[in-house]
Amino acid sequence: MLPNRSRLSVLVFLLPPLLLYGVAVLFPIMQSLFLSFFSWNGISDMEFVGLANYVRMLTADDIFWRSFFNALGYLAICLVLQLGGALVVASLLTSMRRGRDLIKTLYLLPAVISTVAIAFLFVRIYSIEPVGLLNQLLHWIGLGALERPWLSDINTVLAAVSAPEGWRFTGLYMLILYAALLSVPQELEEAARLDGASRWQLFTKIRFPHIMPVWITTTIMATTYGLRGFDIPYLMTNGGPGQSSELLTTYMYKTAFTSTDFGYASTIAVFIVVECLVAVGLILFMLKRKADA
Amino acid sequence: MKNLFRTAAVAAAAAIALAGCGGGGTASDPSNVSPTGEVKPREISWLLSRPADGAVINIMKKIADDYAKDHPGFSLNLITTPDRPSYIQKLETLAAANKLPELFDTDATPFAQQLAKQGKMVDAEKLLKSLDVYDDYRPSALDYQRFDDGSLHMIPFQFELEFVWYNKALLQKAGVSVPKSLDDIPAMCTALREAGITPIALDGQDQWPLERYAAYQPFREAGPDFIQKLKKGEAKFTDPAGQKTVEWLASLGKAKCFQDGFSSQGYSDAQNQFTSGQAAMYNIGTWELPSLATDKLNPAVREDIDFFTLPTTAGSATAANEFVSPSGIGMAVNAKTYDPLVSDFLKFALTKYPAEYAATGALSPTTNVETAVPANATPLYKKALEMANDLGDKQAMPWDTQLDPTTNGRLQQELVLLVQGNITPEEFTSTMDSTIAQNAPKFFK
Repeated sequence: MLPNRSRLSVLVFLLPPLLLYGVAVLFPIMQSLFLSFFSWNGISDMEFVGLANYVRMLTADDIFWRSFFNALGYLAICLVLQLGGALVVASLLTSMRRGRDLIKTLYLLPAVISTVAIAFLFVRIYSIEPVGLLNQLLHWIGLGALERPWLSDINTVLAAVSAPEGWRFTGLYMLILYAALLSVPQELEEAARLDGASRWQLFTKIRFPHIMPVWITTTIMATTYGLRGFDIPYLMTNGGPGQSSELLTTYMYKTAFTSTDFGYASTIAVFIVVECLVAVGLILFMLKRKADA
Repeated sequence: MKNLFRTAAVAAAAAIALAGCGGGGTASDPSNVSPTGEVKPREISWLLSRPADGAVINIMKKIADDYAKDHPGFSLNLITTPDRPSYIQKLETLAAANKLPELFDTDATPFAQQLAKQGKMVDAEKLLKSLDVYDDYRPSALDYQRFDDGSLHMIPFQFELEFVWYNKALLQKAGVSVPKSLDDIPAMCTALREAGITPIALDGQDQWPLERYAAYQPFREAGPDFIQKLKKGEAKFTDPAGQKTVEWLASLGKAKCFQDGFSSQGYSDAQNQFTSGQAAMYNIGTWELPSLATDKLNPAVREDIDFFTLPTTAGSATAANEFVSPSGIGMAVNAKTYDPLVSDFLKFALTKYPAEYAATGALSPTTNVETAVPANATPLYKKALEMANDLGDKQAMPWDTQLDPTTNGRLQQELVLLVQGNITPEEFTSTMDSTIAQNAPKFFK
């Protein structure tokens, strides 16, 4: 228990960031909620439409639902690449004797490269005319039949725009998980080894349960980042071809700034906020239930 | 909980206040083009969407410097965002906040028409007449800037002609000749593909180049009125002219007219494909004359490049000398900030601009100057410029400046799917007709 004076200092120092949070986060959310009940193109008078925007979004907008399911697909691919990839790399790093720092740096590098550069880089990688790296590689290894314009094919474009985002942040989550894995008590692992535990058992029974709190945090981080994904898909395909790589975020942006329908765009924004809160709640609920089981 | 509601109410009230700031705003009388009073030099701004090192900006900088010599304290702040989608976002945001600068670029879009209706843009026709330069302008350059009701609120700074550029050697290799009709193009593409040649290089990423193709058949079949009616829902894609374009676009796709993966290829990709001799055709305007008709063009293809104008069709409603001839994005004058200084500067600038612009080798929007052909030009340069002297009365309007923004966005998306063969002509027709029915009424009340 902190003494009274220290508690007061903590409150005083917490207040400015809390105010900043209120102005930068809560206020825009409330403003979006307010605007979602209006029809407004930015220059004409605002017209109160009640719940009409919500009814339209949920019952009469095919692009909204297409974007929603695309966003879930995008999220799934990002999570597998980011968390799965990060866990594998972090686990392998703990077994390495030399060169750990070099590997860590190389994996972390994409996280510090500008999004625009990554988007342009991958547009070139996926290109077929002129032939890009991916199609060239497929040709070299005898899988020429798989060559295709990855960003123009409606069957591959969603995976193609998700991969750079997954690749980009794998290194970041790898670092977090690697730090967590280092904190696993060596004596526990040694005791398990003496009891004859396999490497798999060692991982599932000792290591993973130990890093569970960190895993929950990284899962929440990756999920919310994934649901907010915008820049790379927007820059690479602008949601196309058609709506094949349209996400809720890119659709919201276009609705506001291309269609100048600020009221309806706010409705989509409110949905994204709710969607993120539900996703985090679900993660916490599922992981808690698993921990209690 | 009570506190939560209170917080929400305060935020909502603040939001109303903010929103109120955006919606209103007083405007001066947009038809008063001759404000009286003293010319008080200050900095004025021009929000524009033009290349930073392009002729328009360079010339206007020079003219502003000349004006400042006699008017100390004057300066022209040029704020450019050449990327059109980003520019439109900036323009709309500033319009919503009622913070548009003295001068700003816009096409004759439905959004701009709403701004004009609210009295936020000076009447350009009256302005040009008051400056005694109106009659200098090419009628088609001004018509391109007009809204549906015939009113003029933007001033053109360019005049361009759009052609289909082609590589004679590649056409010869495939055993095909210049198409006599738009309907000949699919078969021509098939022959070129069979000869291992990419028929048409297309910038699919920017979406407007493919949308040009959607405009061609209806312009020939039903004339310029079709898009005027279509955008308001008075004509439909199910109409004969609409169906003709849908079927034709699908046939272009079936014949693999555009390069593989065109939807993710950009402007320079398409240009490179054509100028490197990989693609046989390239549909682009005279703004690319410096790279297509001068010694900057790749020597390997320089002698083989030529162009043809938009082919007609059997029973065409428009003539061969009528095609896309835009005068570029126009410049609007903010009625709220229009004062003796802005008026005086515009008079100075608009009288000096045409001669300076024509000297760069570009087509001026006025007829009182002659374009200087650059010393490094090929014979094609002059041939292209001369086409401007023989234009018909009608011009094909680019659809992206005509449709309401939501319909335009959806059309651009569906066109790619149609040409790639991902949707049928029937699906395309049904989607677009219902999109127009849903969105047009909001913009064309």
